[in-house]
Amino acid sequence: MKIDLNTFRLSGTEPTKTRFLVAGILMLAVSVAGYFMDSHQFFFSYLTAYLFWLSLGLGSLFLVLLFHLTGTRWGSVLRRIIETAAVSLPVMAIFFIPILFGMHELYHWADPEVVAHDEILRAKSGYLNFTFFVIRAAVYFSVWTFLAWKLYSKSLEQDSNPQAEQIHAMRRISAPGMILFAITSSFAAFDWVMSIEPHWFSTIFGLYIFSGGLLMALSFIVLFASDLRRQGLLTTTITTEHYQDLARLIFSFTIFWGYMAFSQYFLIWYANIPEETIFFLKRGVGSWRIISWVLVLGNFLLPFIVLMPRAVKRNNIALSVVAVWVILMHYIDLVWIVMPVHHTQGIHFSWMDLTTLAGIGGIYMWVFWIRFAAQPVVPVGEPSLDESIAFTNN
Amino acid sequence: MSVTLTKSKPGALEEVPLIKGNQTFRSITEKISEITERKTALTWVLLFSLAASVALLFFAQIGYLFWEGIGIWGLQNPVGWGWAIVNFVFWVGIGHAGTLISAVLFLFRQKWRTSINRFAEAMTIFAVIVALVFPGIHVGRVWVAYFMFPLPNQMQMWPNFRSPLLWDIFAVGTYFTVSLMFWYTGLIPDLATLRDRAKTRLRKITMGILALGWRGGNKQWKHYEMAYLLLAGLSTPLVLSVHSVVSTDFATSIIPGWHTTIFPPYFVAGAIFSGFAMVLTLAIIARKAYGLENIITIQHFEKMNKIIMVTGMMVGYAYGMEFFIAWYSGNEYEKFAFINRAFGPYAWAYWIMITCNVLIPQLYWSKKMRTSVPVMFTISIFVNIGMWFERFVITVTSLANDYLPSSWDYYSPTIFDIGLLIGSFGLFFSLFLLFIRFLPMISMAEVKGVLPQADPHHYEGEAHHG
Repeated sequence: MKIDLNTFRLSGTEPTKTRFLVAGILMLAVSVAGYFMDSHQFFFSYLTAYLFWLSLGLGSLFLVLLFHLTGTRWGSVLRRIIETAAVSLPVMAIFFIPILFGMHELYHWADPEVVAHDEILRAKSGYLNFTFFVIRAAVYFSVWTFLAWKLYSKSLEQDSNPQAEQIHAMRRISAPGMILFAITSSFAAFDWVMSIEPHWFSTIFGLYIFSGGLLMALSFIVLFASDLRRQGLLTTTITTEHYQDLARLIFSFTIFWGYMAFSQYFLIWYANIPEETIFFLKRGVGSWRIISWVLVLGNFLLPFIVLMPRAVKRNNIALSVVAVWVILMHYIDLVWIVMPVHHTQGIHFSWMDLTTLAGIGGIYMWVFWIRFAAQPVVPVGEPSLDESIAFTNN
Repeated sequence: MSVTLTKSKPGALEEVPLIKGNQTFRSITEKISEITERKTALTWVLLFSLAASVALLFFAQIGYLFWEGIGIWGLQNPVGWGWAIVNFVFWVGIGHAGTLISAVLFLFRQKWRTSINRFAEAMTIFAVIVALVFPGIHVGRVWVAYFMFPLPNQMQMWPNFRSPLLWDIFAVGTYFTVSLMFWYTGLIPDLATLRDRAKTRLRKITMGILALGWRGGNKQWKHYEMAYLLLAGLSTPLVLSVHSVVSTDFATSIIPGWHTTIFPPYFVAGAIFSGFAMVLTLAIIARKAYGLENIITIQHFEKMNKIIMVTGMMVGYAYGMEFFIAWYSGNEYEKFAFINRAFGPYAWAYWIMITCNVLIPQLYWSKKMRTSVPVMFTISIFVNIGMWFERFVITVTSLANDYLPSSWDYYSPTIFDIGLLIGSFGLFFSLFLLFIRFLPMISMAEVKGVLPQADPHHYEGEAHHG
């Protein structure tokens, strides 16, 4: 892979794209075979993998909105990577279709038989019913696609013909966009994740899922930029200073995740009401208990301590290791939320967990690379770009 | 690299300087110090007399309360927590903006904070003092208030460490201590400036002691900045933790409308929201009274208004989520609690809250509204009314209509409930007026740091142009 330093365009990206496409198709094909062997396992593995990649897109979309609203300058060099991760989100709408075929396996409330004998689910059927579920999903994807696409195309427009008007336009979209994002992402978390245990409820759940997605997106940016760096690309554009700030954000949102997780656990533990504690009791059964502790120590305490020294934040290898760890923990967090519903007795590893993850991921990254390779890899028209390149923390 | 100027870039937004009126280091010192050095103005004396009289009323009522007991309030069964708790949460919340401005915005490298952080921090300290009065007098037998602290004693009596009320003591106590240290550390260079300018011997000695031997050398600045950074780092988690702990006073219970998992972040957002509104109210008055238009500019106000708008919508998000999940839970008690709030006997309070906190800040979508001083002054007061009512709605509605309909009752305040709320403003404004009279209300050292002249490369450009 090479870069033209005048236009900031990449060339020789074909092998990368092909690798992702082939891996994606292959792994999805293997996963389909898995569907015929154990459809229950397939859908649960699939949903976990789906949420994992979706959270990358949503976390990125949030960051793009945030960048525009706050007028971020230090991070302008990173904006194109984030925008591209966000604008790949619509591919997740296609991957949503299999979930609709797995409604019976994943969501009890989708079974009229079950609802007929369940008073609580009958009370919720105005919201939890198949038709409304599909309509809502369509609304979420329309909103996300519109926002990501609109901001991405404005940003490309800025590349060729920079005008102050574009910055205004991006802000104008981002302000109501942020409100729409907050509403849609929370309700998507209720619909797709919380309702797999349809009796259980928690008002903070939308924020909890969101905080994980943000960690995912930030760690992805670190890893992706570091990977370019190892290939000798953008080494003087994305500098140690930017990594340090990204690491600070990962540090902050590690605390944010811990805050959300603690608020949810603590208030439910303290009040000790059976209809709420059931969620944590299920995750305290057998080996799930170990995973609960892994999350406390691994998704909060360890990154919290490791990311504190300045030296770690400014060491690319150390930071990359932390980013891989944070992403791994994010995946385990999703497994911990989704899987105990299916494997009630303890952790159960299935090869489909991996194939679905790699399958959806392969296609997502393929879509990502098609866009990323087609445009300048930094927003070349952004007026604050030079300032961002020259940015230092001191 | 010397790429610092973005103005010439195509497609860039025009940059407005933070501080207006071509200020120099000297003019900033003159402007701010002079306020504390001039003769006391008659208006100040009148205002202080008014505030101090109201504060006196506050203490008189507290005296009566100690004599007579908390029966003088409108508390009854089942509403055992009335205005005193509402006022406590209200005042603690007010404090949060100060910490956010001084600590969080510092870590986020927001230079505009320098014009407003000093008096926002002072506001924090005074608001926390006022807040702490309420739980203190609410204990009833105030002479055994020390029971609240885990003091070793021969009876082996300890407070309940699992009680959120005890955590409040720790949370608010820590908050007060750290805020005070942070505020004082920030004051040191400015106190030294006042010392150096002092005309009388008494003032020189007083300011000299307070300035802790500050000489402004390189080494001192280096230590000072490290201390400031560390205190900012310590204060940042406090912005979140204090009101989270306050929220657990309610949320660890099993009362519908109190027990919900979103409470900690929801309370924090509300606290910042109300605190910013209060900073704005005070800043508008002080700016006008002392002619600080060039240092606290419309740009500062606009940024604060944006934060009010964002946090207002976060609070709106929480209202919405609570309502939705109450329905979604399928739990009839939860459902009732929220329908009762919106359409029950306290509906008027609920809709005041919604109007002030969610609807009125929407005016800020228009830049004209965000930059109009009369409009923002009005809105800032509405927000504070709304946030007081939020705490009222939470505290009272959930208690007044609890699980047992036979014990339901309508809560009304007595003259002493109202009197103590008004009195608390008296105490707050007395302290605040003393502050603006005797201490530099704007951080001179920090404002100078954001002037263009403070940039080490500032004079290079001029040499270049010849």
